[in-house]
Amino acid sequence: MPAPVLEVEGLHKHFGGVAAVDGVSLSLTAGRIYGLIGPNGSGKTTLFNCITGVERRDAGRVFLNGERIDGLRPWRIALRGIGRTFQIIRVFPELTALENLLVVTRGHLEEARSRAVELLRFVRLDRLQDEYAGNLSYGQQKLVEFARMLMRDPTLVLLDEPAAGVNRTLLNDLLEAVTQLRDRGKTVLLVEHDMKVVMGLCETVFVLDHGEKIAEGPPGAIQANERVIEAYFGR
Amino acid sequence: MFGTGYGVRAMLQIFMWIALAGSWNLISGLTGYVSFGHVAFFGAGAYTGAILVAKAGWPWLAAALAGGVGACAVALVIGYPCLRLKGPYFAIAMLGLNEVLRALVSYFEGLTGGGSGLSLPTLHATVPIYYAMAATAAGVTLLTYAIITSRFGLRLMTIREDELAAEAMGIDTARHKLYAFLISAVGPGIAGALAARDQGYIEPISVFPLAMTITMIVMVLFGGKGTVWGPVLGAVVLFVAQELVWARFPYVHQLLFGAIIVGVVLLMPRGVLGILQLRYRLPRTI
Amino acid sequence: MNVVITPAMVGQVVISGILAGALYSLVALGLALIFGVMRVINIAHGPLLMLGAYTTFFLYDLFGLNPYLSIPVTMAALFVVGVVLQRTLVFRVVDAPELSSLLLTFGISIGLVNLAQLAFTSDLRAVEYLTGSFPLGPFAVSKPRLVAFVFAAGVTGLAFLFLQRSRVGKAIRATSQSREVAMVCGIDVGRIHMLTFGLATALAAAGGALIAVIVAIQPEMGQIWTFKSFLVIVLGGAGNYPGALLGGMLLGLIEQMASLFLTTQLSEVVAYVLLVVVLLVRPTGLLGGRQI
Repeated sequence: MPAPVLEVEGLHKHFGGVAAVDGVSLSLTAGRIYGLIGPNGSGKTTLFNCITGVERRDAGRVFLNGERIDGLRPWRIALRGIGRTFQIIRVFPELTALENLLVVTRGHLEEARSRAVELLRFVRLDRLQDEYAGNLSYGQQKLVEFARMLMRDPTLVLLDEPAAGVNRTLLNDLLEAVTQLRDRGKTVLLVEHDMKVVMGLCETVFVLDHGEKIAEGPPGAIQANERVIEAYFGR
Repeated sequence: MFGTGYGVRAMLQIFMWIALAGSWNLISGLTGYVSFGHVAFFGAGAYTGAILVAKAGWPWLAAALAGGVGACAVALVIGYPCLRLKGPYFAIAMLGLNEVLRALVSYFEGLTGGGSGLSLPTLHATVPIYYAMAATAAGVTLLTYAIITSRFGLRLMTIREDELAAEAMGIDTARHKLYAFLISAVGPGIAGALAARDQGYIEPISVFPLAMTITMIVMVLFGGKGTVWGPVLGAVVLFVAQELVWARFPYVHQLLFGAIIVGVVLLMPRGVLGILQLRYRLPRTI
Repeated sequence: MNVVITPAMVGQVVISGILAGALYSLVALGLALIFGVMRVINIAHGPLLMLGAYTTFFLYDLFGLNPYLSIPVTMAALFVVGVVLQRTLVFRVVDAPELSSLLLTFGISIGLVNLAQLAFTSDLRAVEYLTGSFPLGPFAVSKPRLVAFVFAAGVTGLAFLFLQRSRVGKAIRATSQSREVAMVCGIDVGRIHMLTFGLATALAAAGGALIAVIVAIQPEMGQIWTFKSFLVIVLGGAGNYPGALLGGMLLGLIEQMASLFLTTQLSEVVAYVLLVVVLLVRPTGLLGGRQI
């Protein structure tokens, strides 16, 4: 069994008196696609935010490739190799598509530029590279965000609802891109409501409910899991 | 133009405003962190320069550069804690900074002369000072150009656009903000020391006026925040308008500044050059 | 510095601190309401207080109206000013980025100060209605400050009663909890924003009326109140209305305490350092609240 890429141990996050994430532990192995599902408000995005340092966890530990990363500033965690997208798109609207990608790099500018152009071609946006990101369509902005996340060549990719609000063609492109990432040895964890996407793509699925992990396993087993059905449809 | 003392003096003022407005643009126009107290750096530079000239006998040019360093030091002390604050908190903290510096300057009478001010030995050097001020204005503008065309500049803009996303993409926003803030203090510091030398006398009220911050902000908003030439355009247009028309009606002119701020925010938040940039797809470097 | 502090001095500081603190609470409650409901930091809050002070002055000077009796009139007048400002300008930036609302209210603030300079000149004015102090045991209690305390506490109490009991007050609190929920409950959020701005301005005006009897009135008297009110809501926790009361008292006490050791000038520096330190250590305020 290879060492896990990401290990989360007993993560807690409270808002006021409410536990948004309540003692969640996960372990992700390299080169696989994982799904994170659960009803609205079950703590999926908060878990993402705690892993990426955007929100401070109250308790628990997070390891990336064996090194502890909880408590680090978000930018340090990003440099360690976690890339993410957001549930609500967060491109830099007054920067062009190309600039959106360029800003996240250091080092040689020409290398960065050719990599950015290559990634924009990968998501089929190369013709729009000089357009302000704010002027692009919703789906195109999602692609810019996706490409931007890849600029640093992250080892772990967190996607927050990649399929939401995206048309079929674009969705297929995105899913294709995610599979390619996996094939290149990246690890992917995605939050998704579209069950077809989750079932078709993920090898392992985690289920959150009220901040707790209530199930973990291959998609087929999850679909049949009684606690999961209960969480979604009530008793 | 140099035939009259007025011409030199007016140009000196225009260059000073270009340096001030351009510097405000570097922190507030690029990162979106509004500095409501940028005149503090002008005052800090003025006092640094004036004290070095009056008490230590420094030549004015060296004192002017020291003014830039002094303002930068104040920016470091203020910026290190305050830039960790979110935008609105930072803005309010800067609103108070001016009052604080004025109080401190008045308090340390031995060094600053307190409320009664500080006189400098007589020096007839308006024309050399004029060139130094022109160089400061040019320096600030060139620096703005260099920053806006660099990835450092783009990263500063990501702070304005979406600070949280910038952090999550691996950008050390705290350090970027601090650098921008330090750079933005140098121009006002030098300009303050030059203005102090030129006027030969400074007092707390004359170098820390809130009106000066307001003028910088109006000039940048009018010309176009986040652009290279916006502050220059704003400084020239508004200074000329002020001299030609509004100087006769002192409060009306301040009132108009308030109205311009409100109007720009509501009707053309990008300013003149920002609108042109968008409409005619001009490059970022205007 | 060699200062001997006697128990009597401490008692004096506590009394003066509480008297000043009630005024801070009153004025800051207005700023807190606007922030809580609209997410706007109103830089013009202090200059609106200045208009309240002038209103009281002119009612006193021209019509001989008792400054304390004029409080309702002043509040009503500035309520209208607040509503008009909100309806014409501020509502446009409620959902805009912070930069816009900060700059807009900053512009309004400059406009108000210079309008006042044009209309009323920069001459210092005073409402010389109540002066001096009376002894209370070993302490001296300033008469105008004591009366100001009583009225400030009264107006603040009424404001809280209004927020707790009245329909509009409840709607204001609901809107500051969550605008979406308020909308779903059938609250006209636009109207609540307008009323909140009016109410907040009226609170600033009441503060202005009380201050008018204590210190000299001039167009630039207001800005420092924006800053201090902000400090109060930071101390108490942004969006936490009872926190504004505690924050006001704290600021009053701290300032008076500082004045024991430092000159008046430096006590402003203390307030400033306090602001930065509190923001860094506890960004949600001492009592907790929302982060801005």
